[in-house]
Parts: sequence; structure tokens; C-alpha cells
Amino acid sequence: MVSPVRSICIVGGGTAGWLTAGIIAARHTGESGRGLQITLVESETIGIVGVGEGTWPTMRTTLKKMGVSETDFFRECNVSFKQGAKFARWVTGEESDFYYHPLVLPEGFPSLDLAPFWTKYSDEHGDAPSFSDAVCFQEAVCELGLAPKLITSAEYAGVANYAYHLDAGRFAAFIRDHCVKKLGIRHIVDEVTAVVKNDRGDIDYVETSKSGRLGGDLFVDASGFRSLLLGQALGVPFVDRSDVLFIDRALAMQVPYDNEQSNIVPHTVSTAQKNGWIWDIGLQSRRGVGYVFSSNHTTTDAALTELRAYVGAGHGDLQPREIKIVCGHRQTFWKGNCVAVGLSGGFLEPLEASALVLIELSADMISTMMPATRETMDIVAKRFNETTQYRWGRIIDFLKLHYVLSKRTDSKFWIDNRDPASIPESLQEQMQLWRYRAPGDQDFTSNNEMFPAASYQYVLFGMGFRMDTCVAPLDRDMGSAQRAFAQNQALKVKWTKTLPKNRDLINKIKEHGLQKI
Amino acid sequence: MRLVELSRSEHGGLRIRAELVEASAASQHLVPIVVSEFRKAATQYPIVFAKNTDTGRFAPYVLNGLGVEENLFWSGTELDVAYVPLNVRRQPFYVGTDEAPNTPATNVLCIDLDHPCLDAAGAKTILNADGSDSAYLQEILAVLGELVAGKKPTEQFIATVLSLDLLAPIFLDIVLDDGTPLQVQGLYGLDEEKFRQLPAEGIPRLWQTGCLDLIYAALIASGQIFNLIRLKNRRIALSRAWHSDAS
Repeated sequence: MVSPVRSICIVGGGTAGWLTAGIIAARHTGESGRGLQITLVESETIGIVGVGEGTWPTMRTTLKKMGVSETDFFRECNVSFKQGAKFARWVTGEESDFYYHPLVLPEGFPSLDLAPFWTKYSDEHGDAPSFSDAVCFQEAVCELGLAPKLITSAEYAGVANYAYHLDAGRFAAFIRDHCVKKLGIRHIVDEVTAVVKNDRGDIDYVETSKSGRLGGDLFVDASGFRSLLLGQALGVPFVDRSDVLFIDRALAMQVPYDNEQSNIVPHTVSTAQKNGWIWDIGLQSRRGVGYVFSSNHTTTDAALTELRAYVGAGHGDLQPREIKIVCGHRQTFWKGNCVAVGLSGGFLEPLEASALVLIELSADMISTMMPATRETMDIVAKRFNETTQYRWGRIIDFLKLHYVLSKRTDSKFWIDNRDPASIPESLQEQMQLWRYRAPGDQDFTSNNEMFPAASYQYVLFGMGFRMDTCVAPLDRDMGSAQRAFAQNQALKVKWTKTLPKNRDLINKIKEHGLQKI
Repeated sequence: MRLVELSRSEHGGLRIRAELVEASAASQHLVPIVVSEFRKAATQYPIVFAKNTDTGRFAPYVLNGLGVEENLFWSGTELDVAYVPLNVRRQPFYVGTDEAPNTPATNVLCIDLDHPCLDAAGAKTILNADGSDSAYLQEILAVLGELVAGKKPTEQFIATVLSLDLLAPIFLDIVLDDGTPLQVQGLYGLDEEKFRQLPAEGIPRLWQTGCLDLIYAALIASGQIFNLIRLKNRRIALSRAWHSDAS
């Protein structure tokens, strides 16, 4: 006797729950799917944390696959364009200290690696442009506050690679609407009062206040920090990673614009502070600003003073919301017939907007690897865990890299962050190799990589990391390198002249809509 | 371009060289049309769809050339065509909208005072000697009237073909006689395969609303691309002959 997987029960209705529902439904329900029944139960009383107002470019594919219109998404979720991140004061802490991690790959990458050419040039010339400016036109576009596309660009297509800033509360409601109306997902608003297991240790059903028992062949735990199913019911332990990443508090504020038509900054701004950093994310109607810091290194009051200094005297009346966070993740993410997506699986500081992308990747993996039977589910679970553990490890390495490369000495927070004991061995090994050659695809060989080698280049060289180019053969490719630098310059001239202001394009999208083709 | 509202008292003395009007299209590879022009346009041009650069909205156009700013019908003195689109014939006049606050927008007749066909040596006047509208102006008003009347049905036709998912980017895979591969970007056409697959129950509605006629007109007009390629190759041959004569 085999037990087929026919129904899925998702517990939790934040962005994790609804995105997972939508991603699975887009593949498995409807005419072409195999008719999986998907139920999502969400509480009326428990609010959503709304982590991550920044996405990755992956969100474009995710929404497109779900059949969502990008125009509707802009009209309903307070969305703006994001073209990467600008990191200010991370290296020296000086006013003029900044670098970009753009979303467009370096010109010619990966078949051509401009890093050694740029390094050699800047070793020899004091006035060399920054790495990201020399190899990528997007920094210039961002500095001018321009959008990544034109009103004539089709939905989800761009001139420059882009992601989004969004209002997580509105986004969850928007996806819910789409899931219920278009994708046929059963939506139950109720409180889960108990999680009941069967004798083999699987989850049998969840008990609810009004709707009785909700069963399922597979359960998705999207219950947030509580980790109601995987953590509480199945007892999967939490792995605390605060030995590497020290951030454990956030003070968040919603800051209004000076006026309705103020331009919207088309990238995330992350500004390093004494004991952490401040995120600044421009939406259509407001900015989301918050200070994430280490409570072992400073107090909430001192952090609030820094945050108020950042947002300026005009906003003294704004009250911050304080959120306690623990950096880390569950030891495994899929146990028995239960898989965790979103905060129930873990949390990391939002330095590289990894929260929503992990939801997308997890949901996509569940969807594509969807076991046909309970008997084959354990194999899928094992693979899911291996991949997800690998991904968390790479994100932690990449986040830590930002701290390791800082030269700030103005607090113990920054000094402690460079203590070798706090740096994962995998990152230390990579950095030893990168002393002599730039990060490349050979350093990232999994099919499940999070960040391309180009991202490491942007952060390394943006933060002043120097390679010893003596051992690297250079001249052989000098011609193509020169052509690539010139091409980048030409693209910069072309697009800074052609692309519209970020706010102007968003206004036009709301008025006229984008075409689907 | 200097657009002003036409005033019969102020602009009554203007003279126009109508023979220069067509020259304004000499470097226009696309001219917007309205649906009432489709049948006539189909006798001469490919009918294509392109996005307005300011709004991103689709509109129908006749295609005059295979490159930006190329009009293969321009002979050097005139457009060698059986049908000249309304948007060429109306020059140097325009329909503008009067957007006074708190009132519904109204159409106003405008003129481009920088248009090269305004010339004291011109034969056409906008008024007769007695101050009444000249036959020329009346003709222009009729052309502009057809454009104004055609705006809404054209938008409706576009909305219909978009809702049926019938537009698709045009990929022209042409190598000209001199070996140049052609790349035409930003043009869309009707997807005949998708049109054939439309559910039969929706067809009577397309027929009743006149959309079916327009779809067929555009499908048939797509064959005019061969005419453009022929004209382009002829230009290449002429230019080659000119160069070899010169050497």
C-alpha cells in the first residue's frame, strides 16, 4: 500500500504562507497540475512580522509564474524598484565612504573577469573609479535616482536587472487574494489550538477553534518565529548563529516623504552605525527605516539616539517599534511530513534581503520536488535539508564578509566582528584564496548557490580588499578587458540619458500600466 | 515645433505650400493610423503595432521603412503611394486638448508655426477672401475629424486584441541583397496562429464589432513587408550603381 500525497495544509498566512501556497499551486493545481488540494489556515489575531521589504530579482520570476500582473503589484503593494544596495560608512565610517552592490553583473562576467584588470589599474592610478562604477553601469543609474526600465518595457522585463521594495503587509494580502480567486486555494481564518501527531510521529492534523480538524499529507509550517509545527510540535532544535552574526535587536520606523512627489531612491541604503547598521527602503508612500544592532554592545536608548540622528530633526515625533531577533535557523527544515518556510525555519539580519528569497527558493524546491507518496517523502526531505542547510551557510558567510572587511574601530562591535573565532572556516578559506585571485565560479560549485561570485567581487573590492595580482596572468586578455570597460562606459552614457526618474516611472505604471509583451 | 491654437483672425494670412506636406514624412518609419484607415492602408503598407514612448500603450502604425527614420516610399519629392495616412495629410495642423482646470477637456484646432510648409509663397490659404473657411481648411478639418472620431474605436480594437493575447513581437529574419541582416526592434504584429486557435464561440462578437475585418486587414497587410524589402533592395542597387559610376 502506498500513501499518495494529495493534500497540503499550510499553517500561517504571512508572506511565507501565501507565497508558498501560490508557488505550489501554480505548478500543481489547475488543468495542468495533478490536482493537489491546498488549504491555508491563518490566525485573525496574530499579526504578520512582515520581514523584508526588500526582494531579490528572483521575485520577478516568482510572481510571473504565479500569473500575477506586475502592474497590479505596483498598484496594490506600495512597490518601488530596487537595483541593489548602497553601503555607506561600512569601511572607514567617514561621510564619503560608500560602495555599491548592484544587481547587474560586471560587464562580460563570467566569461571575462575584469577584477584583476581593475585591481592592477587602481594600484597604478590614484584616481581610478570604484570597482562597481568601472565594471557596471547600474551605480550611475542609482546615483541619479533613475528607474531600471522604460514605460515601453514589458512586465517583468528590464533594461537593468532589478528587484523590489514592497509593503509586506499589503503584499501578503495581495498574494492571498490572487491565491484564493485565481489559484483555488482553500482559505480558513481560524486559530490553531493544537498540533496532533499520529503514531509514526507525523503530523496527523491541526485542531482549530471553529473549523475542527484540518488534515494534510504534507504540512507547511509558516507560523513565523513561533515555529508551531516544526519547532514546537516536532521538537526540531534551533541553531543559534549569534556566534557569527551579533545583531539581535531592531528599531523600525516608517518615515514620510517631504512631499508626495519626492523621488524614490531606487536602491536599498544601508548605513553602518556604531553598533550595527540602518536600513533605508523607499516605498511609494513612505520610507521604511530601521536600526539593527547588537544589544551586547549598546543599549536601546543609545541606538534610538543614533536612529533619530539619521532620520533627522523633522521626524522627532515618530515612534519606533522594537523587535527582538535571534540570528539562526532550525537544525533541519523538513522533518517527517512537515516543512518549515520563512521565519519558522530561521532568521538572519536583513543585510542582503535574504528572507523573501529563501521563502521563494524553499517553496520552489518543495514544488518541484513534491513527493508523490509519503514513502518517498523522506528522500525529498533529506535533499531539501542538505540544500537548505548549504544555503543558510552561504548566506551567513556572505553577511559576515561585510563585517570582516570593515576597517571601523569606533566600537567593540566592529572589532569583535573581526575576531577570527567569529568567522566561519569556510569564509576564512575563501578569503585566503582570494588574496591571489578574484572570486569566480570555481569557488561556488553547487547548483544551489545563493550569491554569484560577482556579488563577492562587488563587496570585496567595494570594501577595499586588495588582491596581489603579481601571480595572475593579465596581458593576454587586455584587448577584451579594454573593450568591456569601454562598453560599460557607453552603457552608462546611454542609460543615464534614457532612463526615467524612479518616481516618474512608477507614476506612469500606475496610470497607464505596463504591457504584458 | 511650436504648437498654437489656430486663430482665424491672427493666422488668417498664413499661406501653405501643400506640396511640402508629404516631405514631413520623409524620415518617418512609423506613422500612427486609426482603424478607419486599415483597409486603405493595407493596399500599401504593413500595419504594425508599437508602444507609445510616453505611455507604453499600443497603437497601430503603417510601416514605411525597415530602419529607424527610413521611409522607403519617399521618392525625394513625394510619397509614391496610393494612400497617404491621415496623420501625414493633416500637417501642419494638429488636434490639441484644452485642459483648463475644472472643465471637461475639449479638442482645439492647433497649428505648428515652425512647420516648413508654412511659406509666404504657398498657394493654399486657410480663409477665403470673404473670411469664410477655405475649401483647403475644410478638407483639413474633415481629416482631423476622422482622426478624432477614430481615436476611441482604435483604443477599443487594441484593448480587444490585447485581451485575446493576439499581439506578439515581430521577428524579421531578412538578409538584404548586400548581405546585411535586418533587425527591426519594438514592432508587434497579430499572431496568426493564436488567432486561428481562438474559441469559436467568441468569433461572432468579433464579427459584430468589426474587429474581425480589422484583424484580416492587418493580417493581409503583413504581406506588404515584401514590398518594403523590394524597395529597400532597389535602393541598395541604386546606391551601388551610383558608387560604381563615381569610381
